[in-house]
Amino acid sequence: MEGGGGEELAVGCVLSLRTTLGDEIEGQIVAYDRPSNILVIRCSQEGSSNAGARRNIRLLKANYIQDFTYLKKAEDPLDLNKCYIDLAGLQAREEASLRQAEIEAERIGVGVTSEAQSLFDALSKTLPVRWDKTVIVVMNEVRVSIPYLPENVTGGTPAANDRVKKVLEFERKRLQARGPGQF
Amino acid sequence: MSSQKLMQRMNLQQGRPFANGYSSRRVDTVMGTRMESKTQVRKSASPNFVSTNGTRVGRPTSPSRDRLIYVLTCLVGHHVEVHVKNGSIISGIFHATNADGDFEIVLKMAQVIKEGSVRERKSDHDSIKKPQPMVIPARELVQVLAKDVSLSDEFTPGQSCEKRKDLMIDSVISHSHHLEMERELAPWMPGEDDPECPELENIFDGTFDRKWDQFETNEALFGVKSTFNEELYTTKLERGPQMRDLEKIALKIAREIEGEETQDLHLAEERGFSYHDDFNLDEESRYSAVRREVNGSGLRENENSDMEAYGSGIIAGSLGLATSGSFSDSLSKKNGNEAQASCNETQASSTSSSVVEEACLHTLADKGLGLSSVDSSSELKSDCIARSSSLEDEIRLDDNQIKDQGGKSELMAIQDSQTSDDVNMSIKLEEVSISAPLYDPSSSGQGNIITESSDSLVRGKLPAASESVDPPIRQGSSTSSSEYAHAESNRPFLSPSTSCGSLSSEKSTLNPNAKEFKLNPNAKSFTPSSSVRLHAAIPDGSFYQASNVNAVQHMHGLPMGVGVGPSFSHQPVFYNPQAAQIQSPQAYINPNGPVYGQQMIVGQHPQFYYVQSYPPEMPHKGRKF
Repeated sequence: MEGGGGEELAVGCVLSLRTTLGDEIEGQIVAYDRPSNILVIRCSQEGSSNAGARRNIRLLKANYIQDFTYLKKAEDPLDLNKCYIDLAGLQAREEASLRQAEIEAERIGVGVTSEAQSLFDALSKTLPVRWDKTVIVVMNEVRVSIPYLPENVTGGTPAANDRVKKVLEFERKRLQARGPGQF
Repeated sequence: MSSQKLMQRMNLQQGRPFANGYSSRRVDTVMGTRMESKTQVRKSASPNFVSTNGTRVGRPTSPSRDRLIYVLTCLVGHHVEVHVKNGSIISGIFHATNADGDFEIVLKMAQVIKEGSVRERKSDHDSIKKPQPMVIPARELVQVLAKDVSLSDEFTPGQSCEKRKDLMIDSVISHSHHLEMERELAPWMPGEDDPECPELENIFDGTFDRKWDQFETNEALFGVKSTFNEELYTTKLERGPQMRDLEKIALKIAREIEGEETQDLHLAEERGFSYHDDFNLDEESRYSAVRREVNGSGLRENENSDMEAYGSGIIAGSLGLATSGSFSDSLSKKNGNEAQASCNETQASSTSSSVVEEACLHTLADKGLGLSSVDSSSELKSDCIARSSSLEDEIRLDDNQIKDQGGKSELMAIQDSQTSDDVNMSIKLEEVSISAPLYDPSSSGQGNIITESSDSLVRGKLPAASESVDPPIRQGSSTSSSEYAHAESNRPFLSPSTSCGSLSSEKSTLNPNAKEFKLNPNAKSFTPSSSVRLHAAIPDGSFYQASNVNAVQHMHGLPMGVGVGPSFSHQPVFYNPQAAQIQSPQAYINPNGPVYGQQMIVGQHPQFYYVQSYPPEMPHKGRKF
């Protein structure tokens, strides 16, 4: 690799460095861009082969490197002959991720306490729930409003209502048992 | 915008196959679509246009930058965490970067997951922010962290596409990152703790263990008392003085049957023969595959199997048919050949025969048939197949007139007894053994009357027979049809004057002008209560109605026997025209093949009398041929 800023930051080198933020990183240099001062490091991972490996990638601004240790020199992690980008695949992946993220975002109530969110998550394991502002709507019938106590369960058929109440109580107990200080 | 540039750059890089196979135009299109939905962070400052020589105006290209761009491109769509200067961590989906500029990061669905600022730490009680697109300026950027990125896997479009599919396969759902490779499979070896079960191995290799009594074992092991009473399911064996002899005969015949060579795989296995053909048959073809026609024995196999379908009684005796065919002069030649052929065939496939013979024997034993006949029959039985041809000849000589379709015949038995005991018996037994329901009146040479009356019956039934019972009774049908064809014309050859000379004296009551009997294998079983239906085509299942009907049901020919009735209407004897000796031959009805018949015979002896009294006109009623 041409010039790259010295031997230490050559591609393929394995470094161990420390950032100013306190992170300790060890990995192999994939690329280093001088103008932008971005260092791309591929973190080593045990148990995975080289090819097709899924590693953690870090893009680090070099100016945040506090210090580093040159560990060893290894091969170029990128095989330049195999560097192809599948744009369609990328697009699809991004769309899928976005969709997934949206779905997950739906599960998160806006303006609700994390306790409420925990209850929501617990309820969603067994019942279809969705947020309606700050109200948990179960099975589109039963509504649980703040402060999400069994008394706040309204609506729906008596059977559904009872069921939601029971689940709610159970989840509350469970959450409390798990981490009283969580809320 | 920046993404577009990014892509363009990659395309244009000299010698950098970053975007392999993708034309710039396509990239533009692709990125163009995306561009619209994107939030524009900022316009590209530097005019970045594609120059023909591939070099970009503006920033100098450098391999290192290219690599960076490549890595960033790989990250698109990935979930990343961006650390910013103030210590916050923003999590989102990497969307774009400003490759021409200073690489600011554009994230979608981003949210701050960790506030790094020292100032007011928002308590968690507060709302959780909704994810939104975020741009992190380059100066804020500290580092970008992406997990589980594969850098060099993208070269196969299909491969990467598969991974991004929206199909939620189980491994995706369970988010298993273990990436288990296939294990090396090793055959299971029993450990030390495993109990040795040698008897389970090759359980089919050992021969059939006839000494083991399941009921005994059950009782011994579990105290379960068996309430099995054989007599509930079959004819009661009358143990009399003749028992021993009958038993001997039965055993002999059984042994003979079981020792017979067979083409049937299952039978061969049961009998302990290793299939003489090829040993290449695997488990599937041996035990579970559908049996296909085998060359040469196709006819036979079909007939036999079909016959079995109808019930043991109806085993189409090609042999029976043959014999019956042989009975008729006109068809003697043809039938003889057929018969011989069929005989040989049946010989080879003794399935039906065995069943029939066993049944026959049982009935014989049951009824305490006259030993003489039994002896002769047994004798014949043992050789019956072998001697079928000879028998046929004999029979032919004796009972030319009767064209039977090869029935099993109780009728035959009865009839036969008189005229030519041995021959008839043999014939009858033969018939019986061969198959059942086909009535074989010819054997007895009762001839005229029987044939005549039965003839009409047969005639009517022939068409039906040939249709429904076609394959199995192929020969029979052909025979019968041919017989049928000959029915009219064969009159003369069935004339009372011919053949059964011996019968003439005894058949004083026979109607010499009676029409020739034609067996209709499909004729409906005779039910005493409903005589009119007698001539309807019998569905196959009807043969199983035997339980509550007299043996006639099993015999196609029985109705014909009924037809014979007229002559014997006054005789309280079976349709055996030879009334005199019918008393003893009554038992012969039993051998009428099917096991079911046995039962009926026992309890329904009197029914035979119904048969006798069956009005002669009845047979003709439905038969408007």
